[in-house]
Amino acid sequence: MKKKFVLLFVLAMSAISGMAQASYIPYKTFDGEHKNEASGYIMYGNSVICDRFGGLEGSYVRHLTPRWHVGGDMQMQFVKRLFSIDARGGYRLPIKFGNVYFTGKIMFCDYAKWGFTEWDFNLSALWESAYVDLILGESIIHYHSRAWEMGFGYTEPLTLTFGFGANIRHRNNPWNVGIFFRNYDDFYYENWNINWGFRWYARLNEQFRLFGEFNVRPAGSMSQLASRYEGSMKVGLKYKW
Amino acid sequence: MKAKFIYIAALASLAITPTSCEKVSPQGVLMAGTDVEDRVEMSYLYYKLNNIESKLDIDLHEVEDGYSFLVGADSHMTTDPGRTQEMLQIGLDNDDLFYCHLGDIADTKAEYYVALENTIDEARMKYIDKYYYYDYDDNFYFRKGMTNPTPRTWDGIKYPFFPVVGNHDLTHNGWALWSNIFGSSFYEFQIQVGKDENGPYFDHFIFLDTASGTLGKKQVDMIEQGVLDGVSRYRFTFVFSHTNIFRPEAVQFSSTFTREETYFLLDQFNKWNASIVFCGHVHAWDERLYNGVYYFSLDSMSERNSPKPGDYLLRIIINKDGEIEYERVRMNYVAKK
Repeated sequence: MKKKFVLLFVLAMSAISGMAQASYIPYKTFDGEHKNEASGYIMYGNSVICDRFGGLEGSYVRHLTPRWHVGGDMQMQFVKRLFSIDARGGYRLPIKFGNVYFTGKIMFCDYAKWGFTEWDFNLSALWESAYVDLILGESIIHYHSRAWEMGFGYTEPLTLTFGFGANIRHRNNPWNVGIFFRNYDDFYYENWNINWGFRWYARLNEQFRLFGEFNVRPAGSMSQLASRYEGSMKVGLKYKW
Repeated sequence: MKAKFIYIAALASLAITPTSCEKVSPQGVLMAGTDVEDRVEMSYLYYKLNNIESKLDIDLHEVEDGYSFLVGADSHMTTDPGRTQEMLQIGLDNDDLFYCHLGDIADTKAEYYVALENTIDEARMKYIDKYYYYDYDDNFYFRKGMTNPTPRTWDGIKYPFFPVVGNHDLTHNGWALWSNIFGSSFYEFQIQVGKDENGPYFDHFIFLDTASGTLGKKQVDMIEQGVLDGVSRYRFTFVFSHTNIFRPEAVQFSSTFTREETYFLLDQFNKWNASIVFCGHVHAWDERLYNGVYYFSLDSMSERNSPKPGDYLLRIIINKDGEIEYERVRMNYVAKK
């Protein structure tokens, strides 16, 4: 009952506030003109499990048509010894209030520090409007231990993916600041640990955009004891042509 | 403009979210009122100062031919102590060596903890009455049937009830209430269960503070430093955690560990050569065997969550041949209307 209440609270807050926006995933906000996007960011954080860590990320997106796109992302996190790579594809459906992106993603992660590999399969729908984003989806997460002699693999039950947030300015402005709440990040999906934070972007010129994010990743959100687990910052550059 | 207004209103409503509901702490979805780091630091100090083993009156002959212990979870006790009393009575009647609780023992409210403490005090009296005698010459209690029993005062007798802390024990800053009764949320102890040509060997019991859905930095550090590894030769290792590792079904929205911490713990269970990992939190029975480690998640024994009689307890039986068996134990108490 209590969990249902909290779930309803979270969902109600998203509905009441109407301030949803998933993270500034660089490949969103398609302008209908360019064909290619390349971006990368550096990250720095502090985690309960490994103290300070840093990371590098790179992404590429190709817009096959104004509606269809494909892309891929790769990251390395040092100290945590995490390597991730994914491929994704999606369809953009223009609607009266913004766009809806239907995206499929397959991702591989290697958590070398503990000898676990992980496969993630995600299907999601992102509604993106002038000020607000809301994302809903489902993930299948399978992990496998390669360190143990016998090894074992485990597929988690379906994991709901959601995110919401808001900008303070219209999406077409040359700079913007926003907030977000979500239970995933670029390279992981989780069961109800609700990240939150701030993000921003600044358009340098027609081709280049700076973007960044400050992300608080707690543990135990749905236990109502959200505790410090990880904080991180990302700063990146996106180029489109 | 309208969007900005809604945005500000939403932020404001987040800030003034009501916190008076006794079971729910909505602001805790984003920020906790109790810090796992503080709990672990206090618990470790308490655990170092109160050596549990030195208080356990367990003779080798009591366990070398086999023994059992009882595990329950998520009693969420309020003012009705029925199920908690039943668990402790079942353990006493069956001569279980000790009783473990996987957290969320009471919903955080002072009167609930008063009822809990009274329940444990009553069970302790029955326990002492059954297993101890009072020597009026020495003015001490002694364990019945024990070779060279340690003289004990009333307060010096350890009631063998070993809980881990759960998230509902802590919402609304319940740590003060919980720790006042149980002391430590992070500890281990061992029991000598045999002796061979290489010397004595033991069974090992490790209790983790996972109430916050994370071990926290200090607990991770201490685990990596081997604080819970023990110093003896172990036959079996049993680990107790409130937060569950595996979700039995997709519709269970309880927080589990973060991805990295899940892998850290699974790796650590392997390093500890754990036999069984016991979890609560999810209010659903689940059993799995991975790489020689059994993972049990227990159903809630609370009369409100599980109002009908059912098999909510778990008894672990280590038999004479050193094999582990388990049985689910029925609870019959039904709340008074």
